[in-house]
Amino acid sequence: MIKKIEDLNFYELLEISPQATSQEIHKAYERIRRVYDPNSIALYSLFTSEETAAIHQRIEEAYRTLVYEDNRKKYDAMLRSRNELPETPSPPSPAPRFQPRPIEASSPAYQENQYSVSSSHAMPLAAPRPDQEGVSPVSPFIAEFTGPVIKLLREQAGLSVRNIAEMTKVSVRYLELIEEENFKKLPARAYIRGFLMLYAKALGYDPDRMSSDYLKRYDAATGFPYSLRKKPQV
Amino acid sequence: MIELQDALRKKEIWAIGGGKGGIGKSLITGNIGICLARLKQKVLLVDADLGGANLHTTLGIGVPETTLSDFLNRHTENIQDVIIKTDIPNLSLISGAQDFLDAANPNFAQKTRLLRHLETLDADFILLDLGAGTSFNIIDFFLFSDHGILVVLPEPTAIENAYRFIKSAFYRRFKKVVTHQGIKDLIDAAMDQKNAMGVRTPFDLIERVKQMEKEVGEILELEVLKFRPKLIVNQVRTKNDIQIGFSMKSACQKYFGINLEYLGYVEYDDCVWQSIRSKRPLTIEYPYSRPSRCIERIVNNLLRKEQFTLSMLY
Repeated sequence: MIKKIEDLNFYELLEISPQATSQEIHKAYERIRRVYDPNSIALYSLFTSEETAAIHQRIEEAYRTLVYEDNRKKYDAMLRSRNELPETPSPPSPAPRFQPRPIEASSPAYQENQYSVSSSHAMPLAAPRPDQEGVSPVSPFIAEFTGPVIKLLREQAGLSVRNIAEMTKVSVRYLELIEEENFKKLPARAYIRGFLMLYAKALGYDPDRMSSDYLKRYDAATGFPYSLRKKPQV
Repeated sequence: MIELQDALRKKEIWAIGGGKGGIGKSLITGNIGICLARLKQKVLLVDADLGGANLHTTLGIGVPETTLSDFLNRHTENIQDVIIKTDIPNLSLISGAQDFLDAANPNFAQKTRLLRHLETLDADFILLDLGAGTSFNIIDFFLFSDHGILVVLPEPTAIENAYRFIKSAFYRRFKKVVTHQGIKDLIDAAMDQKNAMGVRTPFDLIERVKQMEKEVGEILELEVLKFRPKLIVNQVRTKNDIQIGFSMKSACQKYFGINLEYLGYVEYDDCVWQSIRSKRPLTIEYPYSRPSRCIERIVNNLLRKEQFTLSMLY
């Protein structure tokens, strides 16, 4: 069934699926807005300037509706009442920008890593989540970034591996291998470093610190030759 | 009639058109042909630009002795006689008409005879290089093919003509499937953008037809879904130029309801001009140049029935 441009629902107008995340909605909006820009030559001779203006207005309306969770829920309900949207639970709310909390002293990862506590290894203190202010203050001297610690930090931020994979574009498999410290199955060292940098950024920690901590453990476990780590002295 | 032809046919026929002249149709056709021939496919290029044939030049062949006009003019009965072998293995050519004044406007009988004979030829791919404009002859070759490919430049003039071409092809296709004279007249009237009935877009037309005869309107809707022209953006200079293909795809979907498939782009490069000047095919003279690579990617997309996507860009 083909539809006139006025009859397209907001998802069809922005060319996205009803399950799109807010990031996808934003990207699609930016793209479609450029397509229907009054100066876009791709529309030349197809639409009049009044039509382009009308389409533009509708795109703005679509974006304003879909990007706000409340408006989107209302709109989805309206579409469902018109049978334009299948009866499914509303799309998963997009991952909020988060500020991970430091590891709590009582957590198993904390206990597990007690042995490596040292002042020179102070973990950079991540800013507390605004909605979590007042949560028990934790010692900043935690541990090094090991696989289990990273996993714990992720879980404390309320994120799944899949969320991280979406944010970093690193596959779920590699992220899991990193958390498991399954060094044999991980790709070459240079790739791991790249993945860790992205992972650290996604969690809000210092990328250099996290990758160097992790790779130290990697090198120790795999016996990565020292000569390859540093440039040979001439 | 079109469906029957589809069922009987094994080889693929691709037509390359675009409405405007000088946008690189012949160059792209010739080089797509060379790429396919390199992949060990048996390729026949047909210069269907009856008024201004020069596909042979893009292949580096001089003015041929036998051309399509010999066949159309019945100097020879067998289309095999006008096929020219090229230096490139697996690639042969039927050159366009050179000397026959009326060849640019073959009559209906000549056209159907040509298409019928093309069907009988032994080849994996037959590539039709169409002329400029939106005359019925050109549109009919386009609709006859398995894949109609449109070439545009990132310029308003070329884009305007491309849309005009799509619209003409689309309405001509409509006219072929309806028998009702009243509806045929309506389609004719709709071709005029400023028609008195307020039919502006194909949607308006289908709605109007549905009011007259519901079943016919539904058949036309099906035709819209089946019509999937393909797009190549030529002479791309910037990233924004590449985006034009995606924009046109979106605009076509929303204006015509047509699924325009974006095959890819060809970058602007002086080596194209140099290859034409030296009368040597681009993909042979400059096989590692960026435009050659672009054409290879387009052929790859065509063979895999895939489209160019944003992820291929970055």
